[in-house]
Amino acid sequence: MSTTVATPAQSAKTPPGKVVASDRAVAENRLGQKLVAPAVVIMVLVTAYPMLQALYLSLFRYRLTTPEDKGFVGLSNYGVILGDSLFWKDTLNTVIIMVVTVAIELVIGFAFAMVMHRIMIARGLMRTAILIPYGIVTVVSAFAWQFAFSINNGFVNSWFHWLPWISPQQNWFGDHWHAMFAIMASEIWKTTPFMSLLLLAGLSQVSEDMLEAAQVDGATWTQRLYKVILPNMKAAIMVAVLFRALDAFRIFDNIVIMTAGAQNTESSSFLTYRQVIQQMQLGMGSALSVLLFLAVLVIAFLIVKLFRVDLASARGEG
Amino acid sequence: MKQKIGPGVIVGFIVILVWCLLPVAWIISLSFKSVSETTTGSAQFLPKSWTIQNYKDILSNGDFTDALRNSFGIAIIATLLSVIFATLAAYAIARLDFKGKRVVLSIALAIAMFPVVSLISPLFDMWRTFHLFNTWPGLIIPYMSFTLPLAIWTLSAFFREIPWEMEQAAQVDGATSWQAFRKVIVPLAAPGVFTAAILTFFFAWNEFALAISLTSTTSSRTVPAQMSFFVGPDPFNPPYSQLATAAVIVTIPVIVIVLLFQRRIVAGLTSGAVKG
Amino acid sequence: MHVPRRSRGGYSSPGRSGSRRRVVGSFAALATAAGLLSACGGGGGTPTLIWYINPDTGGQAAIASRCTAASNGAYKIETQVLPQDAGQQRVQLARRLAAGDSSIDLMSIDPAFTAEFAAAKYVVPVPDDVKSKLPQAFKGAITASTWDGKEVVAPFWSNVQTLWYRKSFAQKAGLDMSQPVTWDQIIKAASDNGGTVGVQANKYEGYVVWINALVMGAGGNLVTDPGAGVDAKIDVNSQAGKDAASVIDALAHSKAAEPDLSVSNEGTVLAPFATPQGAFQVNWTFIYQNYASDKATLNDLGWAMYPETVQGTPSRPPYGGIGIGVSSTSKHTDLDWKAVECITSPDNQGQYAVDTGNMPSSAAGYSYGKLTSAYPASLLQLFQKSVEAAGPRPLSPYWSDISGAIQSTWHPAGSVSSSTPASSQTFIQQVLEGKKLL
Repeated sequence: MSTTVATPAQSAKTPPGKVVASDRAVAENRLGQKLVAPAVVIMVLVTAYPMLQALYLSLFRYRLTTPEDKGFVGLSNYGVILGDSLFWKDTLNTVIIMVVTVAIELVIGFAFAMVMHRIMIARGLMRTAILIPYGIVTVVSAFAWQFAFSINNGFVNSWFHWLPWISPQQNWFGDHWHAMFAIMASEIWKTTPFMSLLLLAGLSQVSEDMLEAAQVDGATWTQRLYKVILPNMKAAIMVAVLFRALDAFRIFDNIVIMTAGAQNTESSSFLTYRQVIQQMQLGMGSALSVLLFLAVLVIAFLIVKLFRVDLASARGEG
Repeated sequence: MKQKIGPGVIVGFIVILVWCLLPVAWIISLSFKSVSETTTGSAQFLPKSWTIQNYKDILSNGDFTDALRNSFGIAIIATLLSVIFATLAAYAIARLDFKGKRVVLSIALAIAMFPVVSLISPLFDMWRTFHLFNTWPGLIIPYMSFTLPLAIWTLSAFFREIPWEMEQAAQVDGATSWQAFRKVIVPLAAPGVFTAAILTFFFAWNEFALAISLTSTTSSRTVPAQMSFFVGPDPFNPPYSQLATAAVIVTIPVIVIVLLFQRRIVAGLTSGAVKG
Repeated sequence: MHVPRRSRGGYSSPGRSGSRRRVVGSFAALATAAGLLSACGGGGGTPTLIWYINPDTGGQAAIASRCTAASNGAYKIETQVLPQDAGQQRVQLARRLAAGDSSIDLMSIDPAFTAEFAAAKYVVPVPDDVKSKLPQAFKGAITASTWDGKEVVAPFWSNVQTLWYRKSFAQKAGLDMSQPVTWDQIIKAASDNGGTVGVQANKYEGYVVWINALVMGAGGNLVTDPGAGVDAKIDVNSQAGKDAASVIDALAHSKAAEPDLSVSNEGTVLAPFATPQGAFQVNWTFIYQNYASDKATLNDLGWAMYPETVQGTPSRPPYGGIGIGVSSTSKHTDLDWKAVECITSPDNQGQYAVDTGNMPSSAAGYSYGKLTSAYPASLLQLFQKSVEAAGPRPLSPYWSDISGAIQSTWHPAGSVSSSTPASSQTFIQQVLEGKKLL
């Protein structure tokens, strides 16, 4: 790797106040673009064609196994979807799942992150224990939870039936809210480590000195938390909430295995899957994909605005 | 800083351990239940009679060991490449000024938001044309595509927090840019890099939808997809015992990896580095 | 303090972009290598026929090796396994057949998507000369294999549901099982005597199988003229449909319903049947072998024809199984048919039944020696009678849509009432017309 120390003399050549792209700025520009290029190429290669194809096909009526019936229908697919109560029910389900799981995971994940960060004894054991749920294959985790909640084979009923709202023969998958609870429990257990990892990354960047200084100044634990730790973790919290929310909105595996969408527990992602893959309705399915994508875009926009963090402006801030 | 091992901390430990490991214990216990027991139903946590028949069956199943090999290979390669590309990109975004910086972040985010199910059919067609169907790159490339956004965002957030002054100080002290990078930035960025690596690895490890659609034989099928080929005692019962056994076998190496690297994901800024 | 911006001069070295080029290059190399490797699959010599099978405990693989040996070098059959779930099998096959994959020769096809594949011309209809060499299949099996007047798959094995009951319970309830019984009778007998009736009522294809049997048992059809594709007449809202709804309604609100009715499937009903509350269940042929190790239950196990929906009208037992289809993209069609003749031969059908418990699709298969000694004669007779009288699900290319729409509107069983047939018929029609999301 050649080491060219940029010549400070160059900067002196540029007259102050003149807006001209200096050689250095141009070099920086080129370098920056080269560094991001591999990542961008890979990302776009895989998703550009499908995105465009989805947009295109969403204007057609097209079923894979009856290609002779293919026909242009303009925006009517969108009309059918937006006017369909199933679509809105599923969207509501998905939003509920997203909000509840992200909120709970944020709290629990933060607690776990603190533990992972601060713990002095049994470090390896605790950190590993916290991360294991994330390492279990999702499909298996869903089966295991489904099995645990089942009547004849599970332990949830036999262990918890002393709680007032659980009977020994409780059919967890027999009604909407019980099934949603089971699904959310499985989802939260599985992905809290994801949240806690991202929060840990942010937590570990909070400067010890600031904390010590605050402690010396007499701040209580709660005050240190709210005034020092959280504000400095803002970027990490935002990334964690953002990506977890996006993932939660696209929840699929747990629902497919635990209820297959019965009792109205279907999610938007599952609906899209059924249209595209099972029904082989490529036209309607593509329209659903586009709408799903737009919904996620809106959510991301809201979250980023909410946090008011700009990742790209790295320098200049203290 | 010495930690008080009070009763509160102990209780906290136990609560966390139980929360995380109880379902895992359940899965392990399932793997020791015989197939006939899970078929006829037994509503208890521990097996009525312990058996290792499931393990024998699975380990002698050539398809499963192939799937294990595929999963590891694909996940590791995807992780390595993804982390490398993401680090380069994140560094550029956080440190350099170039046209299209925000566009890249937005593209990354947009791609992270794209529904995977819509990707299946077009990707299937594309890969058949490029002869990438049922190959390792055929899965590695989409996995990278989906994990790069998160890795880039995580690492950008990380790099953003590393004080600019540190590199400057090192260079003022006479280090070259590369030495400054290696000796100052890399140790500070290590937690971020390892975090991104773990997230990428587990994404590739757990992924199911693409794995089942873009493969057709055990030459590239990964473990989650292979699990849908497990045969239960009859066509109508999910093979819970076998699934649990496969999960245990598959998770042991993962636990080992996590144990080895869990130290790296935590860092404190070495006290003294920023003082003064 | 203004910190002058400095470029990371050290990083714009050629090494960087070179490494990127190298990475992209290696991908291209990998891709080409993979392509070349996949191209050089078959050399000269014995043609290999790839048979895509549904997972089983090795029975089909055994047939593949027997038929390879019996061909005396004319061909070699290799099996490739598909996912466990029939829906997944359909998706995997359809996607590749639509893309013109020529590496698929033979396929084990479920009746649920036989019509769809035939209408999409993914399978080659059975030629007349081959048909004459296949064993005479039961009527139910032939119906389930026919599209547009032609036989499109060769029946391989036929699954059928019968009524299984505990002899001690029937005696206690005073029910004469030597006569045909109706659903109302067994529901009443079970609720009055503290027993349960096991059915399949989860939100899946098995539930539609039950509904179809009830409707056809009442003399009706879910779909009239399914060959008309999207213009087929949906007849759910007929007297037969209402009879079916009243049976489901009755069971769901009686004491004979199992607590997990809304998630019940062929597997969940096994355990309750083996307890003192066990009374009746409708299930496939595998039940006999399933209880083979449970001597107490096995000795108490009785079997009878599938219950009637309406007193006096003979029941139409549900039909399942597999038919062997030859892919239209296959390069060895003649050899494929030779292989099919071997696979569906009576001896292979019989041996398959012995190996896996999946019963033959022809009377010739049932007379296989080892099979007749493995099962009680009355049971084998019942199976054959049931398949002959079986009522397969409508053979429509849009069956996955219709079935999904029925599942949507009839699940959970507790919500079924006399208005369900009407609302579900409307919904099915709207889905088929593309006016509603399924």
